[in-house]
Amino acid sequence: MPHLSAGYNLARWLARDGHDAEDIVQDACMRALKYIDSLNRSEARAWFLTIVRHAFYDWCERNRPAEIAHDDGSALEAAVDHNAIDPEQSAVRRAESKVLADAVAELPLAFREVLILREMEELSYKEIARIADIPIGTVMSRLARARALLQGSPRLRAIGERTSGGDR
Amino acid sequence: MNCDHAQPLIDAYADGELDALRRLFVEKHLRTCARCAEQHAELLALRRRLRAEAPYFAAPAALTERVRAMVASTPAARPARASRVTEPLRRLSGRVPPRWQWVSGGALGGCAATVLAFVVGTAVIDWQASQNMVAQAVSRHVQATLGDRLVAVVSSDQHTVKPWLSARLDYSPPVHDLASDGFPLLGGRLDTLGGRKVATLVYGYRKHTIDVFVQPDAFDMPSSKELRGFNVAHQRAAGWDWLAVSDAEPQVLDTCLAKLIHAATAH
Repeated sequence: MPHLSAGYNLARWLARDGHDAEDIVQDACMRALKYIDSLNRSEARAWFLTIVRHAFYDWCERNRPAEIAHDDGSALEAAVDHNAIDPEQSAVRRAESKVLADAVAELPLAFREVLILREMEELSYKEIARIADIPIGTVMSRLARARALLQGSPRLRAIGERTSGGDR
Repeated sequence: MNCDHAQPLIDAYADGELDALRRLFVEKHLRTCARCAEQHAELLALRRRLRAEAPYFAAPAALTERVRAMVASTPAARPARASRVTEPLRRLSGRVPPRWQWVSGGALGGCAATVLAFVVGTAVIDWQASQNMVAQAVSRHVQATLGDRLVAVVSSDQHTVKPWLSARLDYSPPVHDLASDGFPLLGGRLDTLGGRKVATLVYGYRKHTIDVFVQPDAFDMPSSKELRGFNVAHQRAAGWDWLAVSDAEPQVLDTCLAKLIHAATAH
């Protein structure tokens, strides 16, 4: 059952907890059964991941409303700028030699989900855009920032300026 | 192309998302610009580290079991499914063939939700199969990737797979591992296509599975085809008929077949 694992992996990374991920996937399966008629078979994995993602956000609203509240656009910018754009701080982060998996888990939700879908599920920008319900351009900028965050790279400043509208 | 143009494209380049023209531009720029080349290398390094260090969480057995149980006890799903699948058959033949009875009989206990989704689709594809080799090949692929019988002989060693297949067929199919070309051999199995037993070689490509049916006689079908999101590529070369089925892109299938035919010709 390859798709069940794909769904669980996504839920596990989004919720950052095994038990919660199980609840979410179970809920997603329930929905999948209900909406089976809307399944376009060619895209079964993307379809199921979309449902898992919805299930996660609904679950999050009930159980961790604070996490979503932070994830509107402006808060996202602020969170990133504050955390990582300072080169000195990224040096500190590197010095802590944080395990990469922890760094992924700490990415803001909106970045984490596109990164997981791209690097672990190897989905195309188009598929990710559909699953996360965002334009392809947003997929690209979020991916770039997610990666830059993980690299603690000075490039982040450039990307940050670019996506927040500054013409260079 | 200067850095200002190339920089925003480097992620998309590393993700294989650029069109041919822009890909060429970035490639050219990377050869001449150390800074951008380093950025590209860092991206690839990060990807390697992510794959090596960030765990992929497989669904726990307990969850799989619960999902199975859930599907089994979802009464609402059954009548609709059953009638959708069996109705066309009933109309055609006046009865539901025994192999469909498990659908209407509610014996869905062994399926998870996602699998159920596939099974419904598979049933529909299967129903067309009697008339269509493409549908049959896709249907074999779907059945195999869903169930436990993706590979009957699990091995990346061509010297294990080949004798296993030869012992069960009236021909000895060409088996080559293409791991160095990005298509690792996962194993092999037997299928029936058009009423004939045929060797199926199973290759991986990223997260995709590619089934390659190979036999000395010609498969009766067009050279390439898309069916319900699955791509089918068909070629006759090196004395064999090759039929590849996967949800991977058509170009990927063409490459895979070309490599296989090249390997078969070289030996």
